[in-house]
Amino acid sequence: MIRLEHVSKVYKTSTRPALEDVSVEIDKGEFVFLIGASGSGKSTFLRLLLREEVPTKGRVYVANFDVVRMARRRVPRLRQSIGCVFQDFRLLTNKTVAENVAFALEVIGKPRNTIRKVVPEVLELVGLEGKAARMPHELSGGEQQRVAIARAFVNRPLMLLADEPTGNLDPDTSQDIMLLLERINRTGTTVLMATHDHSIVDSMRRRVVELSLGQVVRDDSRGVYGVGR
Amino acid sequence: MRASFVFSEVMTGLRRNVTMTVAMILTTSISLFLLGVGLLVVRMIDKTQVVYEDRVQVDVFLTNDISANDKNCQTDPCSKLRTDLENDPAVESVTYENRDAAYKRFKEIFAAQPELVKLARPDALPASFSVKLYEPDRSDVIIQTFSGRVGVDAVTDQRKYLDSLFQMFNGVRDLTFVIALIQAIAALLLISNTVQVSAFTRRTEVGIMRLVGATRWYTQLPFLLEAVVAGIIGAVLGVGLLVLVKMWFFDRLLGGLFQSGVIRPIEGIDILVTAPWLLLTAVGISAVTGYLTLRLYVRT
Repeated sequence: MIRLEHVSKVYKTSTRPALEDVSVEIDKGEFVFLIGASGSGKSTFLRLLLREEVPTKGRVYVANFDVVRMARRRVPRLRQSIGCVFQDFRLLTNKTVAENVAFALEVIGKPRNTIRKVVPEVLELVGLEGKAARMPHELSGGEQQRVAIARAFVNRPLMLLADEPTGNLDPDTSQDIMLLLERINRTGTTVLMATHDHSIVDSMRRRVVELSLGQVVRDDSRGVYGVGR
Repeated sequence: MRASFVFSEVMTGLRRNVTMTVAMILTTSISLFLLGVGLLVVRMIDKTQVVYEDRVQVDVFLTNDISANDKNCQTDPCSKLRTDLENDPAVESVTYENRDAAYKRFKEIFAAQPELVKLARPDALPASFSVKLYEPDRSDVIIQTFSGRVGVDAVTDQRKYLDSLFQMFNGVRDLTFVIALIQAIAALLLISNTVQVSAFTRRTEVGIMRLVGATRWYTQLPFLLEAVVAGIIGAVLGVGLLVLVKMWFFDRLLGGLFQSGVIRPIEGIDILVTAPWLLLTAVGISAVTGYLTLRLYVRT
């Protein structure tokens, strides 16, 4: 599903590589935590998968895409197979919950009938039935993140990338979000989550890939956050 | 591609950015209006030139002696001059006008100014040959050959008088084109700036669009169409301005010249023919500017 082969990334503005000789393979349906301090390369890792960045060296494969060598015009196809969730939710404040979710389908040209059918379905899946007509500012942080997850998942992507999705949430709400991500994972969707949150990683007991100064320093199949320090 | 989606994005964009949009539309319309005026003047010059091509001739004025004594051009040197002119290969036809006929025509031309007619006496007007050439621009040959010959007072090419008139028209045309160009540059920069501002105010949307895998067309077409829609509105306003200026300026100020047939009038049909070109220019320029701006300044 995801394979990085000896990937290095050096940004023009920096002398130190953001990633250095990283090789990771993630199978279909896995749930993986990507941990590490700020500046360890987690964000770069995720950006490479989306082809927001191109590696300086090495190869990146996502689903059936050779991410490094693919033509620019095929990048949208790659991104359609990846759902994304962020710490800051990134909702459109002038659109309702349902419109925010529908937006993701509208801009890739899905027919209106399809949109009308699948948007309520996915809102129900994330537990927001009955809040379709609310505006984002009327929702709690946890609810807003559910909208973001609904938007990321509505097109049934092969994988979900989550960049510190609980970073702005209190522990209880974070727990709810993790349950939701687990549920999505159980539908066969690969989930890759970058996080700082010890308690979540420790309680979930899933595969943990730890980055430090751009290198993979640990890859445990049932890891916890703190081991090895 | 969902047309309704793109359309609503365009409308939102134009409304959100209304001051810039208005500035962009006004600049575009003035630029296109000036371009239109220039094009109309070009058409006017062309039509007027065609009319004069047929009429322009060389006048050979005869001396006072001949004018007074040879009413029907029967003796030398007048008759000799006429046969020489008629036998010249460049000459199509020759018409003799004696002093009486010249005076009669003078009275007709200045019928509106009787005091001028009163001042003029028949013996002040010379008899002349009106020489029509096969090719009006070969008048120099006739002038050279016949100037200074016995009985000839002066040889003039009517073209010379017209040239100064056309030079004025050409000046007007060039001036409008230059101002139109300067305005066009301003319009171009405004379009470019508007597209950038528009893209910036909607960076969150565009970011999400890119993330969920919207194609370049979906993310950029709204911005491009915003520029094009503003360009079209500008062109329509420009053409409207052109119609007003035709009615209030050309028809009123130059109406006398039109009626006397000195220059050909600008008609509604001229504007009708010019309008599509202005529209096409507007669409072309705004689309290209918008596209280049997106290419250069906006990340995809």
